[in-house]
Amino acid sequence: MGIKGLTKVIGDRCPNAIKSNEFKNYFGRKVAIDASMSIYQFLIAVRQQDGQQLTTESGETTSHLMGIFYRTIRMVENGIKPCYVFDGKPPTLKSGELAKRLERRKEANKNLEDAQELGDAVDIDKFSRRTVKVTPEHNAECKKLLGLMGIPYVEAPCEAEAQCAALARDKKVYAAASEDMDTLTFSAPILLRHLTFSEARKMPIDEIHLNKVLEGLNFTMEQFVDMCILLGCDYCDSIKGIGPQRAVELIEKHKSLEEIIKTLDNKKYPIPDDWPYNEARQLFLNPEVLDPKDIEIKWTDPDIDGIVEYLVHEKGFSEDRVRKGVDKLAKNLRTATQGRLDSFFSTVPSNPKVPSKRKVIIIKKKIIFFSC
Amino acid sequence: MFEARLSQGALLKKLLEAIKELVTDANFDCNETGIALQAMDNSHVALVSLLLRSEGFHPYRCDRGFSLGVNLNSLSKILKCAGNDDIITLKADDNSADSLSLCFESPSNERVSEYELKLMDIDQEHLSIPETDYEATIVMSSAEFQRICRDLMVISESVSVDVAKDAIVFSAEGEMGSGSVKLKQNPSVDKPEEQVTIELNSSVSLQFSLKYLMNFTKGTPLSDQVMLGLSENMPLLVEYKMDDAGYIRFYLAPKVGEE
Repeated sequence: MGIKGLTKVIGDRCPNAIKSNEFKNYFGRKVAIDASMSIYQFLIAVRQQDGQQLTTESGETTSHLMGIFYRTIRMVENGIKPCYVFDGKPPTLKSGELAKRLERRKEANKNLEDAQELGDAVDIDKFSRRTVKVTPEHNAECKKLLGLMGIPYVEAPCEAEAQCAALARDKKVYAAASEDMDTLTFSAPILLRHLTFSEARKMPIDEIHLNKVLEGLNFTMEQFVDMCILLGCDYCDSIKGIGPQRAVELIEKHKSLEEIIKTLDNKKYPIPDDWPYNEARQLFLNPEVLDPKDIEIKWTDPDIDGIVEYLVHEKGFSEDRVRKGVDKLAKNLRTATQGRLDSFFSTVPSNPKVPSKRKVIIIKKKIIFFSC
Repeated sequence: MFEARLSQGALLKKLLEAIKELVTDANFDCNETGIALQAMDNSHVALVSLLLRSEGFHPYRCDRGFSLGVNLNSLSKILKCAGNDDIITLKADDNSADSLSLCFESPSNERVSEYELKLMDIDQEHLSIPETDYEATIVMSSAEFQRICRDLMVISESVSVDVAKDAIVFSAEGEMGSGSVKLKQNPSVDKPEEQVTIELNSSVSLQFSLKYLMNFTKGTPLSDQVMLGLSENMPLLVEYKMDDAGYIRFYLAPKVGEE
């Protein structure tokens, strides 16, 4: 999933590109959320105490609806305006990766059966989480629910991360939210992580700024993409024996994959026979996305009766809790959102720091007030 | 060398109480004209800007401009060790200060306590704030302003402020009901601290978070009067003046409706 070890590279090389913020500081922000990734998380994480997925009486899974419903409400309650983006067709280059995932799921299925045979509860739990797959039905149900809730969603032609990135780049939204680090490789200016995590986990939101990453690594966007391919992405194999450390060094020294291939010791680091790195690079730099200008993102009033009908009568949710949730949705759409000083006064980057004896370093932005 | 001796130590204690909830770490920028501080809260909704003029200190010495990066909570804790009547002296080495020394002397000079506060590097924030001509400028009792915020907090999290020619109306609407407080202009009241004066170019109507306003009113002990500056679609200014010693200004971004 995503880019192998990119978080660590960024953490080591440009720590000031990552800022941790409290969830409640994101009021008033519009964010594009990678829906498929979130639904996958919900299917894994939203469970009963015995580790079983939530289901209706007839055994249909409802973990994803539960997740989408309550986590979206939590965001709206905190003034965040979410917009979900669903995956379209996977790019052909991803078929290798998808085949691997299918293989892993089969393996997990087999293990699960064995575990059930033996009655090992811990193993059953472990492997049942590994067999999780987001089906088109899950997606369709989530879209239906979002429609009723008045939360906008976008159907991407291809990868959802790429579409999220495009929306953020076009300033349609403040940031792209995904756990997938390749959202940055698709040049999302700002990536938020942990946004759809449960409140109980108390995870702060990590905000990663692409421009700071490039600045910190001293790479161009093309070099950054090449580095990500070396680290290992979903679209082509990586070269054996090249880890994060060496990937950064190689790009620093040779500037591009072409140059690296020319000089690389083929015996020590065998380049895969079929290595479509250039196609992968093109996929990152020019992904298939809808033009953000043609997308209208609008938040509307929730259809209370529709939600109750769907969640309570069809899916067996508690009516009381659903109604309370919908009330929160409706209320927060009506109230005015808190403005930020940044939108009235412009910010300028800070001066390079003078080294000093003091130990603790806190980085803050500079602000200049307009005269008005 | 930096040295500043403040005969009314209580002033510094009150100042810290007024800002420490809003901002955790900040730079005190010192130069020959005085000590200034500017910082935003974490969510970038509010900003505090304070100035202590050199005239307020006896003596005041600052050979060159430099900044003291301070954890405000720690500083406030140390200042709590000073008595209200104590004389407070701040000292630091302006070349390579890694700590700020504070000395508290009791009025009778019989008790002298000294503390050292470790400093931090806070990437320098510089803000240039122009004097703005607000569409509405209100001067009123600071205690009254605090009371209005506290009262309306019962009703809602946000307050609408409407200023017309001769009155200012604070109103709130919430789940349990609504409430409003109207203050009429009354420049001729005997007690100057109870006066309400309104200077108006055009009427304004803005909405603000009461939580932040409540935070600002922690500045109430610093001054009998508070000045509010409002303009449509601009941050609110809340200013407490400390006579000649300086001022503390809070800025708050307004709440905005659906675009």
